[in-house]
Amino acid sequence: MDSRFDVELVSVSKRYGSTLAVDAISLRIPAASYCCLLGPSGCGKTTTLRMIAGHEAISSGDILIRGENVSDLAPIRRGTAMMFQSYALFPHLTCLDNVAFSLKMRGVGKAERHAKALEFLALVQMADFAQRLPAQLSGGQQQRVALARALIMRPKVLLLDEPLSALDPFLRIKVREELKRLQRELGITFIHVTHSQDEAMAMADMMVVMQDGHIRQAGSPREVFERPVSPFIARFIGSHNVLNGPDGLIAVRADRCRLGPAGDGPFVTGRVTAVEYQGAMVRVAMATDPGSEASALVPDREFYADPVAPGDPATLTWAEHDAHALMDA
Amino acid sequence: MMVGGPSRAGAVSEKRPWTFYALGTLFVAYMAFLYGPMIVIYVLSFQGENGGVTFPMVGTSLTWFADIVKPGQMANIPVSFSRSVALASVVSLLTVVFSVAAGLGFRRRFPGSGVVFYLAVASLVMPSLLVGFGIGMGFQFLGLDTGLFTSALGAQLTWTLPFGMFAMFAVVNRFNRSWEEAAADLGASAFQRLRYITLPILLPGILGVAMGAFTLSYDEYARTTLTIGQNNTLPLEIYALISSATSPTLFAIGTLTTGGSFLVIAITLILVMRMQRRRNAAILKAG
Amino acid sequence: MSSTTSLDHIGMPRSRRFALPNLRLPGWAVSWLQVGPLMLILSVLFALPTILFLVVSFYDYDRIGIYPAFILDNYRDLVTTPATWRVYVSSLRFAVIVWGVTLFLGFSVAHFLVFHIRSSMLRTVLFLLCAIPFWTSGIIRAIAWIPFLGRNGAFNQILMGLGVTHKPLDFLLFSDFAVIVTYVHLFTLLMIGPIANSLAKIDPALIEAARDAGASRWRTMVDVIIPLSKTGIALGSLLVFTQVMGDYFVVKTMSGGQSASIVSMLSTEITAMQYPPASANAMVLVLFVAVMVACMMRVVDVRKELVK
Repeated sequence: MDSRFDVELVSVSKRYGSTLAVDAISLRIPAASYCCLLGPSGCGKTTTLRMIAGHEAISSGDILIRGENVSDLAPIRRGTAMMFQSYALFPHLTCLDNVAFSLKMRGVGKAERHAKALEFLALVQMADFAQRLPAQLSGGQQQRVALARALIMRPKVLLLDEPLSALDPFLRIKVREELKRLQRELGITFIHVTHSQDEAMAMADMMVVMQDGHIRQAGSPREVFERPVSPFIARFIGSHNVLNGPDGLIAVRADRCRLGPAGDGPFVTGRVTAVEYQGAMVRVAMATDPGSEASALVPDREFYADPVAPGDPATLTWAEHDAHALMDA
Repeated sequence: MMVGGPSRAGAVSEKRPWTFYALGTLFVAYMAFLYGPMIVIYVLSFQGENGGVTFPMVGTSLTWFADIVKPGQMANIPVSFSRSVALASVVSLLTVVFSVAAGLGFRRRFPGSGVVFYLAVASLVMPSLLVGFGIGMGFQFLGLDTGLFTSALGAQLTWTLPFGMFAMFAVVNRFNRSWEEAAADLGASAFQRLRYITLPILLPGILGVAMGAFTLSYDEYARTTLTIGQNNTLPLEIYALISSATSPTLFAIGTLTTGGSFLVIAITLILVMRMQRRRNAAILKAG
Repeated sequence: MSSTTSLDHIGMPRSRRFALPNLRLPGWAVSWLQVGPLMLILSVLFALPTILFLVVSFYDYDRIGIYPAFILDNYRDLVTTPATWRVYVSSLRFAVIVWGVTLFLGFSVAHFLVFHIRSSMLRTVLFLLCAIPFWTSGIIRAIAWIPFLGRNGAFNQILMGLGVTHKPLDFLLFSDFAVIVTYVHLFTLLMIGPIANSLAKIDPALIEAARDAGASRWRTMVDVIIPLSKTGIALGSLLVFTQVMGDYFVVKTMSGGQSASIVSMLSTEITAMQYPPASANAMVLVLFVAVMVACMMRVVDVRKELVK
């Protein structure tokens, strides 16, 4: 029994009729790590999360949690807890009763479970709202109550289904930090599904990029960003140019590209299509002569020293060592 | 039936378009049309002793109300009233249990669901007397006696069950599956999920179905005629009264039954409002 | 390492202590269990009797009793008797007229309540006002029209009092007019309910989009609102039609014996214990209802709307 890994997926598949939503994926998530499942809609990331939770039956394969095969176990027996995308707080129960619910199901007495629930509400700074109903809370507040409700079960693995999508951008960043801090303090594994690559890169210890039911790349955010294995990953992660190199496709980070006269290094010519001001950087998009797209992320001072406008001809240059070879798939 | 919800009246200007007044007038006219005869009933139930079933009023009296409780009349009102209530209660209970279950069943797509659905539609829509006739005939052929709690009950169920099921569809649609999943995640068994989450949230809808089934059963005349055998329920007594001799007693009955329906609805509404107020008070107390 | 639940400091979940073997039934089996009782009751009490009709309608009969057989005489008699046709045509005529009036009235009221009333509290109250009379026995509401429309009735009194007429109008009661008025009184709610339901489901943004594109109120109504409320209209129409065709009481009382209804024809045969012709009659009505339901299904996919 390998105690290095909290969660292991062994060739797990999910079939709906004749459609294969998840195709024989295997994954090993190290103990006490923050893992993000990332991918476009329909890639199978939520299905995978729900299979780990036990809310979706596995068509074939096995799932192990801390070395124990949980594939046939009910959700409650797996040691997992799930935070739903819609929070799923019971509308007819107060926050306190919501959080205490799992204890009630186990037959814990009222006084004891209410006390414990209050403890966990305090942990997420919601103790003052104990008697409120979910309908009276804001989105951010509801989420914290949902978190408390999941954590009171002392799960081995916390599963989060797009927890930040319903929040406004400012709140998102704040909650991001809180979740990360919580994971460190609790020392358990969090598996977090998202379609935002910024979110995943900011939070994950391990990033798993999925597409069409397959895992395309798994590794630390830095690994994936600096060495994407395929054009899909390079494009999905963002801020990458996929270009034709001498021996096949290559990826170059947009911020490692410059506009200027061609030098000794590789280059490609084209026409500027858009200029996007992003504050610290300026993104210049161009249509390349071979007929594809590319962009350069230029620091604002550099750009305004020698600005370009849409329609201008331009040359994109980069250093040889910044180019990274891609597999063709 | 959708009653609440956000306003759909045009938000741009506060001024009402002419259609508002036109439709409003129509609505008022409809209300007058609807309640006109009802008011006639209420007024005539206080008809004087020597008056008949039509105007003019010959004084006022409570004779006809008193007539209701006098047994030995053409019809026996108090007894058939209690029979109606008893039957309606049983029908209501069975309808709630079976149609709530069926409503939950339809959350999935399952093979044969179309058959069940169309059977329910047909049963709902089929003229009542036909169904009553069919059941009565069936019972006769089988040599069984028709009776209040056997054939009459069955006949009423053919109407209330589809009604209940369709009402539950609307209620169940608003129910979020995530709540049940969350409950499972938190350790609730199937039974616990039903008891602590599903049913409490569905409760207002369930009450609506219960109330609806009760009143439908109470009023149901046609289906019960052919299936009831000797003992009459209230609507049947009323019809017997009408065919034999018309007197303002009928109107007195009408006033009472309307009052009764009002009472049932009022009680339900008060209970619901009490529940709401209690919840709100708890919230205010917590601050 | 043995398997431990994550809350072992609190104790075994109560439900597990007396747990039945953990049955994981497939979804369709659970659904059938849930739908089962209802299905059973409807099959026994509705489907079977209908089949009984079918069978008995082919039986032979005479003054003494009925004899199992397979003859088409009952149907032939039915189709060749002018009285039958008269009654069916009369019922259909009523049904169509009542349908038209209730559709107009019901749609207008529903539209008013859903689109013109801003406060949802007021809307609920007004809905209840429409629905409350429904809770009084239909019989009583029907006969209430008698004192209202009679020669000495309230309506005539009002008319004469206002000076509109000099002597009481006779045609008001015990006539086709009275029958139609009563039907409308009883069945308009059947239109208001489903139509209001459909109207309420229309996304307000669609109407705004229509306005945005330059549609007048009338065009919005015709091109957007009415098509989107097809389901409600179809359902309401189905209910009104079948209730009128299957009526027994209203025609009997309000027409003063001038008209008969299909069902009263049936009931005379039943009281005379002439089950085979009654069954044949019943089958024709069943067929009619089946055709109506089929028509409605073609107009709208009610199943999808209701169950989603």
